[in-house]
Amino acid sequence: MAFGIVWMSCQAVMPAVLGRAIDLGVADKDQQQLLLWAGVMLMIGLLQAVTGIMRHRFAVTNWLTASYRIVQLTTRQSVRLGGSLPRKVSTGEVIAIGTTDLDHIGNVMDVTARFAGAIVSFFLVSAILLSTSVQLGLVVLIGVPLLLLVMGPLLKPLQARSAVERQMRSDLSNTGTDIVGGLRVLRGIGGEGVFLDRYRRESQATRTAAVNVAKLQSVLDALQVFLPGVFVVLVVWLGARSAVAGEISAGELVAFYGYSAFLMLPLRTATEFANKLIRGRVAASRVCRVMALEPDVVEPASPAAVPAPDSELHDARSGLRVRPGLLTAIVSDQPDDSALLADRLGLCAAEQDDEVHLGGTPLTSLRHADVRERIMVSDTGAALFAGRLADRIDERGTGDVEKALFTASAEDILEALPEGLESVVTEKGRSFSGGQRQRLVLARALAADPEILVLVEPTSAVDAHTEARIADRLRAHRAGRTTVVTTVSPLLLDAVDEVAFLVDGRVVAVGTHTDLLSKVAAYRRVVVRDVEAAV
Amino acid sequence: MSVTTRLPIADGRAVRRYVGQVAHRHPRLLWTALGLHVLAALTALAAPRLLGDLVESVENGTTRSYVDEIVMWLAIFLVLQSVLTRYARYRSQVMGELVLAELREDFVANTLALPVGTVEAAGSGDLLTRTGSDIDRLGWSVRWALPEWTIAVVSAVLTFAAALSVGWWVALPCMLALPPLVVGLRWYLARAKDGYLAETASYSQITTTLSETVEGSRTVEALGLGAKRVELCDDDCAKSFTAEKYTLHLRTVFFPSMELSYLLPVVGTLLFGGWLYTRGEVSLAEVTTATLYVQMLIDPVDRIVSILDELQLGAAALARLLGVAQVPDDRTVSGRVPSSEKLDAEDVRFSYVEGRDVLHGIDLDVGVGERIAMVGPSGAGKSTLGRLLAGIHPPRTGAVTVGDVGLVELPLGDLRGHVALVTQEHHVFVGTLRENVVLARPGSSDDAVRAALGAVDALEWVDLLPLGLDTVVGSGGRAVTAAQAQQIALARLVLADPHTLVLDEATSLIDPRAARHLERSLAAVLEGRTVIAIAHRLFSAHDADRVAVVEDGVISEFGSHDDLVAAGGSYAALWESWHGKS
Repeated sequence: MAFGIVWMSCQAVMPAVLGRAIDLGVADKDQQQLLLWAGVMLMIGLLQAVTGIMRHRFAVTNWLTASYRIVQLTTRQSVRLGGSLPRKVSTGEVIAIGTTDLDHIGNVMDVTARFAGAIVSFFLVSAILLSTSVQLGLVVLIGVPLLLLVMGPLLKPLQARSAVERQMRSDLSNTGTDIVGGLRVLRGIGGEGVFLDRYRRESQATRTAAVNVAKLQSVLDALQVFLPGVFVVLVVWLGARSAVAGEISAGELVAFYGYSAFLMLPLRTATEFANKLIRGRVAASRVCRVMALEPDVVEPASPAAVPAPDSELHDARSGLRVRPGLLTAIVSDQPDDSALLADRLGLCAAEQDDEVHLGGTPLTSLRHADVRERIMVSDTGAALFAGRLADRIDERGTGDVEKALFTASAEDILEALPEGLESVVTEKGRSFSGGQRQRLVLARALAADPEILVLVEPTSAVDAHTEARIADRLRAHRAGRTTVVTTVSPLLLDAVDEVAFLVDGRVVAVGTHTDLLSKVAAYRRVVVRDVEAAV
Repeated sequence: MSVTTRLPIADGRAVRRYVGQVAHRHPRLLWTALGLHVLAALTALAAPRLLGDLVESVENGTTRSYVDEIVMWLAIFLVLQSVLTRYARYRSQVMGELVLAELREDFVANTLALPVGTVEAAGSGDLLTRTGSDIDRLGWSVRWALPEWTIAVVSAVLTFAAALSVGWWVALPCMLALPPLVVGLRWYLARAKDGYLAETASYSQITTTLSETVEGSRTVEALGLGAKRVELCDDDCAKSFTAEKYTLHLRTVFFPSMELSYLLPVVGTLLFGGWLYTRGEVSLAEVTTATLYVQMLIDPVDRIVSILDELQLGAAALARLLGVAQVPDDRTVSGRVPSSEKLDAEDVRFSYVEGRDVLHGIDLDVGVGERIAMVGPSGAGKSTLGRLLAGIHPPRTGAVTVGDVGLVELPLGDLRGHVALVTQEHHVFVGTLRENVVLARPGSSDDAVRAALGAVDALEWVDLLPLGLDTVVGSGGRAVTAAQAQQIALARLVLADPHTLVLDEATSLIDPRAARHLERSLAAVLEGRTVIAIAHRLFSAHDADRVAVVEDGVISEFGSHDDLVAAGGSYAALWESWHGKS
């Protein structure tokens, strides 16, 4: 802030120095004085350059510190909220913190030092003027705030029109993105003309809106020349009359001209500060709102002791028993039932209940981290993160990547990548197809090698050949470990140790796939469906 | 997965040619805008001269009426300058917006005309960047940087000329600015572009990591990745800080060197002018005016310099936008007309990368109206074969023909009438449900649209929508599930009604329980059409006339379901385990 004040004050006194130089040096033909004042000018100019860059450096550093701190806090908060986050707040709002809100808050940090300089230099100039001519000093002291008031109301309609135009521009950009996103569809089946017409229409409407903004903006630009200009003319006029009357010198007249021109800078800075402060406050309140959220899952006040390894997982509500060391499948006539059960088994559901027990201890009375350590749920919405492929498969850094990829039948994905495991996964794994992503997510879960692994529909997006392969390999891979899969695919069901069949969220039958096929008609209907009718 | 190819970027010559064409297209707008700016800049130059007169007359003793007269002139020029500024700004904005609209529309038109093969191969990432950030960046350049720069250049040139008109001696102190200006600018521009690009990249990295952490918060929790995400975020911030420190370093050197180069001429003019004045060679008015002019030069020169790197980035964006127009068409239309609706593939070989064939000599003889299912492990070449059968890529050797005419010889419009492809990639456009379905046949009746939706089992949920076909879907509109999106894609195809359809896992995202029903109702509507379905589930194969098993780029088994089961090959084994040994 100090640099901001010195920096702007340097600019403020420049006219005075120039005036002195003209008065004492040039007009009086005194070379000594001329050299002296030119030297002073040079020194102040250099000081201005140095403080200017220092001010900039500090402003940028403040800006960055604020931004990074906010991003880091947001990340920590997202991690703390975990699965509760999407249930409490729209993810878009949180991400917006990292983009727009950050800028607004950073801008406030940036403008503050300059604003401080603006206030100090305004009073500095006013004081100099007052000491020379009370009349001129008052003109400045009253005139500048008056100008601010005149410009203020003009900004309102401009901001309104600009907001409309910005919205249209962002809509247009979305239309463009939409067209590119669906380009394969359009090129495959037609309809390019319709979309080109739509884009043209929106583009022209945006242009009209932009021209509307330009109409006002150009008036404002002209006023930014005119209003300060009026001020300058007024000061020069009064000054020149005083000069004629012998009250002030020619150099002081030049200085007055310089002051009145300079004062526009603090004026603009003040407006800028006001605008940015308003936006910054809105952004900051949004950040605070996200920071204030609390996760759904509460840590127990006094955590129970960790159950022994290879304990049985039991859910009282559905009656499901997951026997340690086996591969268990959950089949349900309603896909949502099995997904919810899977969530509850891993303490991932929104609502917390005491009905799921590990070795007789309710999951809710265990430390959260202990549950995560023992039980891992990999659901259909599981995200693949960007980065080196090997790291993304082996997130914990302890797994056997090759073996996991083999079990997930993902060797072909690896082969197609020129750099293999060193390849970089793009954001959210977008460069992979749905089936490829699913297999990579499966490989990741396998590489983590938890004691109890819960897989939700792990092969829903892969073809039958591949699914058969995965079914074969999964059992061997998880030998001795506890695994739960929810699925309705016969290929997978045929490979598990035990199948639990759910109707209306309750286990109604338990047995091997072949057993259930032959004994339970409802199961047969769900799994094989109406193939019977056709065969 | 195919190897992605990058879209071309226009070279400097093409960019210059385009800019020339634009200037040529709107000569009147361009010259009016420029003329107005020149006039506005000229009127701005009156003030220092009048002030110089004023100072001189005050020094020599004058009357109040003379002062009033000069101040009146000052006021008149001020009004003129304000009015001219208003129109100059307005005109150039109008011009800028016009050019910008033409440019983005041309870009979208070119994108929509990209060869299908290129679209399939290039992926959407590169194009998305061009549509998003490149258009934005160019918009900023055209809307703000270019006019500001032009104005700055005009006023700098005129102000310098005005300064010279006071006396040739003014040029001497101005020379003082050149060494620090030139050296500083060259040093800065050589580094600035990369520095700022790295900075932008580091920001998008921060955003990427944050949005992944937020959107994948559930996965982060489930896999216990919290500490890792936090570390990654801190790491991104550190990298960004390094990038920022670099550009800050650039500015720390550059800004003061610029300020020095602005300061030297002012001080120089004062000293030199003062010295000349003491020798009686120039008047006090001239010294004052010259000093003020040189001081006035600072602002435009500063803007010229500081906008330069912005323009550099704008030109790079323009080059990328123009590059899309340079993709050559991959179809060579022969004008031959298919003699029948029969689709054939003969000894087809294909490679995405030279020397690495993914299809090794495929023959496929498809009967008219036949339903063929293609099964096989992923990576075996099913999707590639599907694309070739739909005429999207030409085979490296061999031929894919309809009625004895190669698919890639047909104009795109005709090809679509014969063969259409629906992949598992589904995209719902922003718009009403009706608009989403009628793509291929704009102007279809609501009955036709409903019939198409009915054929894909979609009417049930469509009728539940409060606005029915008028419901706005797509990003920002009503959310549809992946399964519903696939139904929409299939309904489009039903409405387009080509005689041959290639379905690449077109129902893969639909719940297996519903998919079979859908496929059957679809089959009923497509009765008599030729369907080649790359199947994901075995019941699709079971329901087809013939099944082709694709393994390692060749068709290893081909025949009816019953024949293949009886033959006891890999298909039979798969069926056995799927269906249960009952």
